[in-house]
Amino acid sequence: MPLHILITLVVAGIAFIALLTWAFGLSRPLRLKTSDEARAAWLRHWPEDTVGAVHIAPDGAAALIETDHGPGVVFAMGADSTGHRLDGAEIRETPKGLRIIFHDFATPRLDVPLPPEARARWQQILTEAA
Amino acid sequence: MTDLLTYPDVVQYAVPFFIAAILIELLWIVFRGKGGRYETRDAVTSLIMGAGNVASGIALGFLAWGVFMVLWRITPLDLGTAWWVVALCFVLDDLRYYWVHRFGHRIRWVWASHVNHHSSQHYNLTTALRQTWTGTFTFMMVVRAPLILLGFHPAMVLFVGGLNLIYQFWIHTEAIGKMPRWFEALMNTPSHHRVHHGRNARYLDCNYAGVFIVWDKLFGTFVPEQEDERPDYGLVHNLGTFNPLRVAFHEWVGMFTDMAQPGLTWRERLMYAIAPPGWCHDGSRQTSDGIKRSHLQRHPEDRGTPGFE
Repeated sequence: MPLHILITLVVAGIAFIALLTWAFGLSRPLRLKTSDEARAAWLRHWPEDTVGAVHIAPDGAAALIETDHGPGVVFAMGADSTGHRLDGAEIRETPKGLRIIFHDFATPRLDVPLPPEARARWQQILTEAA
Repeated sequence: MTDLLTYPDVVQYAVPFFIAAILIELLWIVFRGKGGRYETRDAVTSLIMGAGNVASGIALGFLAWGVFMVLWRITPLDLGTAWWVVALCFVLDDLRYYWVHRFGHRIRWVWASHVNHHSSQHYNLTTALRQTWTGTFTFMMVVRAPLILLGFHPAMVLFVGGLNLIYQFWIHTEAIGKMPRWFEALMNTPSHHRVHHGRNARYLDCNYAGVFIVWDKLFGTFVPEQEDERPDYGLVHNLGTFNPLRVAFHEWVGMFTDMAQPGLTWRERLMYAIAPPGWCHDGSRQTSDGIKRSHLQRHPEDRGTPGFE
């Protein structure tokens, strides 16, 4: 197949499929609404943990999870979630909340919008665990 | 003995079919409300990985081709191009695929390339196209060497390899439940391959087949899909990015970072490359065997059931 036809097919195909999924409402990200949902999402990734307190960010896109292995954060990855422990992570304050830098090539960073009170609570938990 | 045998690049010709089939599956899921899930960023990442795989094949394919042609000149055997030779080549190449795929899950160096195919938490036809960009660097091309030394022309070996990949496209779907019993017994199917993509402890490291599921049954790696345990797709530790560059290279970065840690012996550095994924010099991580053992400690009732035998 001539290269220019192959490239055109691939680019147009990807663009059309992306447009269709967006038009069908399949771009909506996961939102964690309850502690039970956040706990279940964490245990899906770390089934051996015992989960303590759960702190869901106001937008539901992430939750701070306290476990017997230390704190972690579970967060939306598109319509699904991923969970990451916070040992070795760097926490920075941003104008809108916290930026978590995981120092992991597969999970570079996460911005969590948090109001001042929740931000202070998250930082306190992370400082105590450090 | 001819060097000039050519076959069409069937994977490139299949691209329009891939796009059409994805559109049909997507519309089926949206309008029927069942048969799988799609998500925009996940699907786009998978498709970009597929495009990158074709591009890397065009850019680096000459390396494997060069090695194969050297072998072709060495071997005194030439089986010719009869239809039964092509059919035999297809079957033997599928056996080759089984072992390369098994190595891809049990040797971290090879897993570093293959991992991206498993990095989606979805299972649909776009997942089939989420293919490696770095396959050349695994050196798994050497597993094709016996075929060429036996007298199968390199062009034929690559042709049947392309047919094998095209066969595997349609099995990446939740829209098909089970095929007729005889077909499930002989061939790789959506049901068997859903199991292979499961991150459930039960489903780790099984069903490596490409076309014929009989290889898994022969070599003891077959696990049937359980009606009461739906596969949970993705990696044991799922990625936190949709960036295709990170998807393509994250395990290579992780492996070389592990190998470069200070204070390791040379054996430990080597083990980070050749041991199964999850191997760790201080035992702080788990391989799939360890994950299964941990699961059985929490769920002893699963002992002896498929995937835990």
